[in-house]
Amino acid sequence: MAYTKKDLEKIKNSLASQKKDWIKVGMSTCGIAAGSDKVYQAFIEEVKKRKLDIQVKQCGCQGMCYAEPCVEVHLQGLPDVIYGHVDKEGVIKILDKHVLNKVMVKDSIYDLRTKR
Amino acid sequence: MVRAKINNMPVTVDEGTSILDAAKQVQVKIPTLCKHPDLPPGAGCGLCIVKIKGSPKMLRACCTPLEENMDIITHDPEIVSVRRTVLELILSNHPNDCLQCGRNNNCELQSLVADFGIREESFQKFLPDCVKDDSTRTIVLDPQKCIRCGRCVKVCQEMQNVWALSFLERGFSTRISPAGDIKLADSPCIRCGQCSNHCPTGAIVELDETAKVWDALRNEDKYCVVQIAPAVRVAIGEAFGYPIGTNLTKKLYALLRRLGFKAVFDTNFGADVTIMEEGSEFIQRFAHGKGSLPLITSCCPGWVDFMEKFHPDMIDHFSSCKSPHEIVGVLSKTYYAQKKNIDPKKIYMVSIMPCTAKKNEIIRGEEMYASGSQDVDVALTTRELARMIKQAGIDFVNLPDEEPDQMLGDYTGAGVIFGATGGVMEAALRTAYYLLNGKNMDKLELNSIRGLDGVKVAEVPINGHKIRVAVAHGLNHVEYVLDQIRQAEKNGRELPYHFIEVMACLGGCVGGGGQPYGVTDELRLKRAAGIYQDDQGKEKRCSHENPFVQQLYREFLGKPLGEKSEHLLHTHYRALPVYVK
Amino acid sequence: MEQKLIFIKDTDNSQDRINDFYAFFLNALKENKLDQAAQVVRVADIGIYDKGLVVKISGGANEIIYAFVQEANINDIVCRSVKEDKIIPELLFKDSPKQLRIVLRNCGQIDPENIDEYIACDGYQALEKVVNQLTPEQVIEELKKSGLRGRGGAGFPTWLKWNLTRQAKDIQKYVICNADEGDPGAYMDRGVLEGDPHSVIEGLAIAGYAIGANKGYFYVRAEYPLAVERVEKAIKQAYDRGLLGKNILGSDFNFDIDIRLGAGAFVCGEETALIASIEGRRGTPRPRPPYPSIKGLWDRPTAINNVETLANIAVIILKGASWYSAIGTEKSKGTKVFALTGKVKNSGLVEVPMGITLREIVFDIGGGMISDKEIKAVQTGGPSGGVIPKEFLDTPVDYENLQKLGSIMGSGGMIVMDESDCMVDIAKFYLGFCVDESCGKCVPCRIGGYQMLSVLGAISEGQGKLEDLDKLQRIALAMQKASLCALGQTAPNPVVSTLKYFAQEYHDHIVNKKCRSHKCKHLLNYSINQDKCKRCKVCAINCPVKAITGDKEKGFFIDPKICVRCGKCFDVCKFNAIAKE
Repeated sequence: MAYTKKDLEKIKNSLASQKKDWIKVGMSTCGIAAGSDKVYQAFIEEVKKRKLDIQVKQCGCQGMCYAEPCVEVHLQGLPDVIYGHVDKEGVIKILDKHVLNKVMVKDSIYDLRTKR
Repeated sequence: MVRAKINNMPVTVDEGTSILDAAKQVQVKIPTLCKHPDLPPGAGCGLCIVKIKGSPKMLRACCTPLEENMDIITHDPEIVSVRRTVLELILSNHPNDCLQCGRNNNCELQSLVADFGIREESFQKFLPDCVKDDSTRTIVLDPQKCIRCGRCVKVCQEMQNVWALSFLERGFSTRISPAGDIKLADSPCIRCGQCSNHCPTGAIVELDETAKVWDALRNEDKYCVVQIAPAVRVAIGEAFGYPIGTNLTKKLYALLRRLGFKAVFDTNFGADVTIMEEGSEFIQRFAHGKGSLPLITSCCPGWVDFMEKFHPDMIDHFSSCKSPHEIVGVLSKTYYAQKKNIDPKKIYMVSIMPCTAKKNEIIRGEEMYASGSQDVDVALTTRELARMIKQAGIDFVNLPDEEPDQMLGDYTGAGVIFGATGGVMEAALRTAYYLLNGKNMDKLELNSIRGLDGVKVAEVPINGHKIRVAVAHGLNHVEYVLDQIRQAEKNGRELPYHFIEVMACLGGCVGGGGQPYGVTDELRLKRAAGIYQDDQGKEKRCSHENPFVQQLYREFLGKPLGEKSEHLLHTHYRALPVYVK
Repeated sequence: MEQKLIFIKDTDNSQDRINDFYAFFLNALKENKLDQAAQVVRVADIGIYDKGLVVKISGGANEIIYAFVQEANINDIVCRSVKEDKIIPELLFKDSPKQLRIVLRNCGQIDPENIDEYIACDGYQALEKVVNQLTPEQVIEELKKSGLRGRGGAGFPTWLKWNLTRQAKDIQKYVICNADEGDPGAYMDRGVLEGDPHSVIEGLAIAGYAIGANKGYFYVRAEYPLAVERVEKAIKQAYDRGLLGKNILGSDFNFDIDIRLGAGAFVCGEETALIASIEGRRGTPRPRPPYPSIKGLWDRPTAINNVETLANIAVIILKGASWYSAIGTEKSKGTKVFALTGKVKNSGLVEVPMGITLREIVFDIGGGMISDKEIKAVQTGGPSGGVIPKEFLDTPVDYENLQKLGSIMGSGGMIVMDESDCMVDIAKFYLGFCVDESCGKCVPCRIGGYQMLSVLGAISEGQGKLEDLDKLQRIALAMQKASLCALGQTAPNPVVSTLKYFAQEYHDHIVNKKCRSHKCKHLLNYSINQDKCKRCKVCAINCPVKAITGDKEKGFFIDPKICVRCGKCFDVCKFNAIAKE
């Protein structure tokens, strides 16, 4: 189908109005090389196991290649944070502490996605 | 027109003229080892660098067009010093065996190094570890001497459309070789030798077979006979300081006798015979509908090889007539031997050719042994002959004129013009006209098929018929003509041509791969002019008028395309694989 | 009230204090009965460096960042800022963010495989505006005003390239996205293609509209399989939504995109070699002029732009040229993405406005050095660039400044080096890369590079002579002046710049036979410190060439004549008894 300006705006508005929690995993070569594909998979499985209402997404390189695999967590009411060097154990911690109990996992945050 | 300055001197040149060419206007020669007048610039060597006044950058003169108001400096201490470094870098990757090299004293790299007065090796020597390839038995590839200028690759791919040579690997390991690192003999190489003619160094040279000839001349059991091709006579003089295009036929006869040959023949005689056969073949196909049209000439062994490899669908169109030197070869061991009562097995036939492919032609099939043994024993190039003359210590310039040996020596004007592109066609039409009309053309010269245009066409009215002919030379021009035919055949249209001449080398045999170095269009034209002058001066200018040809048919062959002719003077063709596995 | 978050990080790198601070915060919260209302989080990185204890409070009306926080301030912070949302001005960290993400605006933000997410970030709105509201001339004019220069390395004004291609008259034109990123350590383009492929596709389509091309190519190296996959998916999605193909977004603009994979030759990033590669020929550069804007792909006018350049286009169109040109320096507008690597703590992709200093990039963004070793130099521009010593760390980064320092902006590789990096070794590494990647077409690059590398090799092995330095300079000049393409012209830069700034190191290698960075193993001497040695014999057992002999009484010794400097003994010794100098 051929889009017009209206279609573009429709998509933009519908995504902007979405209020959903999400977890984003950096899935560029730098991330995958550090194991982010396994982390991504683990998130999908663990979220399913816990029946959480949170979307697991992939994204490109966040620029912090030294801290890959990087995972950004967005929860309503909490600042977005990026966890670095996340492994399978980290996945569990992030889900159990941060997502379920809104307690940030200490010593693992590498960037605060906030407007400074 | 572009107006600019080179070394502070005003120059005016056509738009698009390179700085390299423009500099010649102000008597400045910018050195280069990769640019050849025949070829587009390759920009490989890095020697032709020049500056625009006020800019520190250096440009390549070979591929930079002169622009309006440019202010070019071609020589200053920095430029010369960079050129010197580049030259020394080339030397660091080139063996120092000039004395044993096929290009000693005739090498573009050697002269440039001499000009720059390079007396020591500044850089460590790194020579590639590679072996010579003489598998074709016509040209020898010595990758160690290659300076990767790319001329041969351009010649092989762009001028000749053969694609036998290419660059392999990259960086310091770059080298020339047939694709897949196979031997040249297993590649599409058609042995035209244009690569050897354009190589600035000794990386590709003709296979030197002079020793074979010396041995034969020394052997008292052998009856050594020789023939010279049309294009040789107008080029050999270049090795002895003659003006380009000087016709030295009669000095060559004298010379060859002094070298020890017992009989001196002329390939031009064979050319006259070729015309009798090929002309008759054309009449048969054109007037009597026997055999397919167009008829395509087959005297050029490079072209034959090319056709057999790349265009085998054209085999039926090919004239089955052998090339002139093969005809002289077989006749020397049959007709001449018979008449002179010489054991044909003792006859040793040497062909002096402008061509490297002839070295391959003489063994290309069993038809080349029609006399019972190899009809031509060895084919030397013009360049090899020049060396033999010098080895023999003969003062070539002061030799008297002599005449050829009879029976296979005298030729008409039609025979000699075989050496230039369009010549075979012109000669054939002269005789075809006679055969169809019973009289000669009023004007024998066919100027429209002379000269250096890649494809030349003409329409010749003969006896109410219009004969359309095409002449192509330089194999990259052939495809176009062949496609025209294929298109016409496919669509059932009238044939665009009845008769086609093809020569593998640009300019025809005068520009052959075995000719002296330094070929340019200007030189090709001058050599051709020498040939046309010879024709002009001949009393008899049509092959059918050659009394010795007439005698040959009367006393030996019978008639053109007769049984004996077919056996001795004709051959056949077969499809060849492009790559030998 | 929302829960407040207190992020803390000791940016002085002394992990001892952070636990104390953590405890202080917990106590202070408890005392103020805020332990339910706020959460203290120790973070691994807070994006600010060398600013003592940094505290970031979020969840209030404003986000607050404090730096150089002392123990004494903590109660104050909890009482005033956490409890009452008030700012303590004297602790406030005021520095503005160093990074500015334009090219990387969506990288790491959106799902690269979901076009809707790109559209949600204003994706394809620029294309819509261009095809429905702007003439090609207006697009080019907007780019001219923006001051955008090519991000591939040379910094050629993008509008000018487009304008030249637009003005070239031909029925067919092309645009190409050059994604043949090959500099060692550089991966900006990969990051963009993997993270935000649509931004490049949109830029390419706008380029096509501006120059009048209906066909675009992505030339991506095959070693980027994920980038290729994402670009392929993105192109398909764009086609499915009519954002590519016929009548884009209701206009009469048609545009198609294809992908071509490069086989990994570095030189194919050079535009004419890239074109040759797409055309299926050997990837070697050809002389310019004619420039691709006149005669490019299949001899048609072609605009070739780098990934990063194209990723800028849509934003410029949407936000306007004046917004863009306000960023950066006078001659270099906008931002530049760097792949910051080497001995820096936070390696990764950074995007900074032009004019930022190297120091800011390395220390404020990169977090400083990874170990306690001092910074020695920064290498920019990859193998075509140079090494910039620490004295020039305060230079604002733009095209001209880096060039003045003997380096180049290049495509964006930035490698930080410390005292353990040997400059001879670094020069050898980069030159070695270019020697490997030279296409071999022209002499200065093919042989010059190889010769320089062999000289550097000799120096690093202690075989160098002082006159070698002149030799290096001499060959470097020839390469810079006489090489055909930028690869050869710039290949000597790492050598020339290290010779300029680190001459003493070369001297040390040549005269003193010493490599102070302990990188050149031939210049290393291993010995056993008898005071530290416990005579455990592990080194002697592990030595592969049996260079270590001795016994428990007399001790063990390394024979330097046998030693091959493999460093095994150094690695296996548990008592640091092996001395390396």
